[in-house]
Amino acid sequence: MPSVAMRPYLAIARISWRSALAYRIPFVLSLCMMVFNLLAMLSLWRVLLASGHPLAGFTWPEMRAYLLVSFVTGCLVSSFTDFTMAFRIQSGLVALDLTQPVHYQRARFAQCLGMTVLESATAAVVCGAALAAFGAIPVPALPQLALFLVSLVAVVPLKFLIVYSSGLLCFWTHNYLGVSFARAAVSAVLSGALVPLVFFPGWLRILAEVLPFQGIASTPALIYLGQASGWDAVRLIGIQLLWIAVLWAGASAAWNAALRRLTIHGG
Amino acid sequence: MDEPLIRARALTKTFRRPDKGPGLAGSARHLITRKYTEHHAIDGIDLDVAAGEAVAYVGRNGAGKSTTVKLLTGILVPSSGEVRVAGVVPHQDRIANARNIGVVFGQRTQLWWDLPVRETFTLLRDMYRIPPERYRATLARLTEVLDLGPLLPVTGRKLSLGQRMRADLAAALLHEPPIVYLDEPTIGLDIEVKDRVREFLRDLVANGTTVLLTTHDLGDIEDVCRRIVIVDGGRIIHDGPLAAVRDELARERSMHVQPAVPVDLAAIRAALPGTEVSGEPGEFSIRFDRFAYSAGQVAAAVMGLAEIRDFRIDEPGIEDVVRRVYEGGLVESPTGAPA
Ligand SMILES: Nc1ncnc2c1ncn2[C@@H]1O[C@H](COP(=O)(O)OP(=O)(O)OP(=O)(O)O)[C@@H](O)[C@H]1O
Ligand SMILES: [Mg+2]
Repeated sequence: MPSVAMRPYLAIARISWRSALAYRIPFVLSLCMMVFNLLAMLSLWRVLLASGHPLAGFTWPEMRAYLLVSFVTGCLVSSFTDFTMAFRIQSGLVALDLTQPVHYQRARFAQCLGMTVLESATAAVVCGAALAAFGAIPVPALPQLALFLVSLVAVVPLKFLIVYSSGLLCFWTHNYLGVSFARAAVSAVLSGALVPLVFFPGWLRILAEVLPFQGIASTPALIYLGQASGWDAVRLIGIQLLWIAVLWAGASAAWNAALRRLTIHGG
Repeated sequence: MDEPLIRARALTKTFRRPDKGPGLAGSARHLITRKYTEHHAIDGIDLDVAAGEAVAYVGRNGAGKSTTVKLLTGILVPSSGEVRVAGVVPHQDRIANARNIGVVFGQRTQLWWDLPVRETFTLLRDMYRIPPERYRATLARLTEVLDLGPLLPVTGRKLSLGQRMRADLAAALLHEPPIVYLDEPTIGLDIEVKDRVREFLRDLVANGTTVLLTTHDLGDIEDVCRRIVIVDGGRIIHDGPLAAVRDELARERSMHVQPAVPVDLAAIRAALPGTEVSGEPGEFSIRFDRFAYSAGQVAAAVMGLAEIRDFRIDEPGIEDVVRRVYEGGLVESPTGAPA
């Protein structure tokens, strides 16, 4: 039974999910973009791996699995979180958020979880279609599958915190769109969502491994494939969790700093 | 006396405005020079509000009313000074403070734009953890007095301004807060809705809620507030009973006249001794004491000198209140005077 303290946040998650249904058109558009991306990547790698020789240890079915997993993690925690945040901060509506009896960061996370319900459902549907079109993918054995699920679940708070932290930059810049695009571009590369990290040149790979982005695509994909198994997988999940803890605390501190310099525009 | 419910001491909020030249070049230069002008939006405010009091907080545009409300509600962190509301420092303990207060900003809405009004209310119910029976009773009462019935199934974005304001009032009061801040709750409303809101506020105060109301419309505060606090330039320039201000202003009227041909204002001054004539020969205003002249007498005196194309008589507004304070027309009360 959910505790009383959770009730406000459950309510926020629920209303966020309900209002997401009101944003059908942008939702469908962004989904179409992601599906297009997925199809392009699948077709590209199919050509590259057509000879039957694996590249950097990836066969065509494995690459299919990698791309599908990174598609799923890409669907989770869309830019709705930071765009609505940015809009409310820049328009001054955040003033009203500040008079509500909830922690701002937890409330945004709840809102993001509400959206995730919808996002997971659509991701599942698209995956099913892709599997039918491009052929089945290898499924890992039970212990590995369990590790994969843990790392997949960890993607949600981790990705939320990356998006949320960049949303907080609104307090320092008036051009949030630029920040958001930059974040999306950097995280698309460094997360390994476009190209697995093994293909990276050494310096870029080191950069990707010390930053939190790998945890939102590469980590669950590698665990799914069994390229990271046993302690290796546990270590990668540990890194995810560590980043979650660090970013949660860092974002809280940033939020408090931001409030000190907050000026509400208009009326 | 117990500690007042709302207590502010030497409260100050300073905004920094970047000294930017126009255009991109100006922005670029600012990046290097980093020069700012300090602007004291609130400049040392002392304010005590006792439980159950209803205070009108008025002043001209930019006087610092909204900034005060944002400081008292904990939205903004003060630059210096102290504030305590029901024993809580609002910007330090936002959540505890949120439970004690209800806030309505006339220019912003807390309704969810894409969902029916009812959904926003349900969210607030859960956010404030209002027990179900309590919620049902409060919602029923608010629905009746604010006539919300037809609005509950309507999406936030589809509400008219007046409908939105009624829904926002209800949203701010669902958790029955003992303290309510209203920042221009009647802005942009037509007279019918205004009356309804005013009546609602009267009931709210009658039921013992502590209210701080800012407005540009003196009509809002009549019958609602007993006390008026006047701010200007971020400072409190007057704090006292509303009745005194009303009596003082009740005497004063302004007639705005457009003559068919320009007239000599000196001649009008001579014809109406004791009044104040300002403006241009082609369009001028006469301020007169209602007990010294009737409007008819003033109009007749002007018509003796020139044909009138158009004229209008104004009731006194906030500007007149502020002016009277500066002219020394209102005696400052000892309690509210800033140190
Ligand atoms: N975010 C901000 N940044 C810089 N200056 C600000 C900011 N908000 C308000 N100010 C300035 O502070 C002063 C007080 O503003 P405030 O909004 O409190 O006035 P107000 O009394 O509510 O006016 P109005 O009647 O027009 O609503 C104004 O001079 C305004 O320009
Ligand atoms: Mg204002």
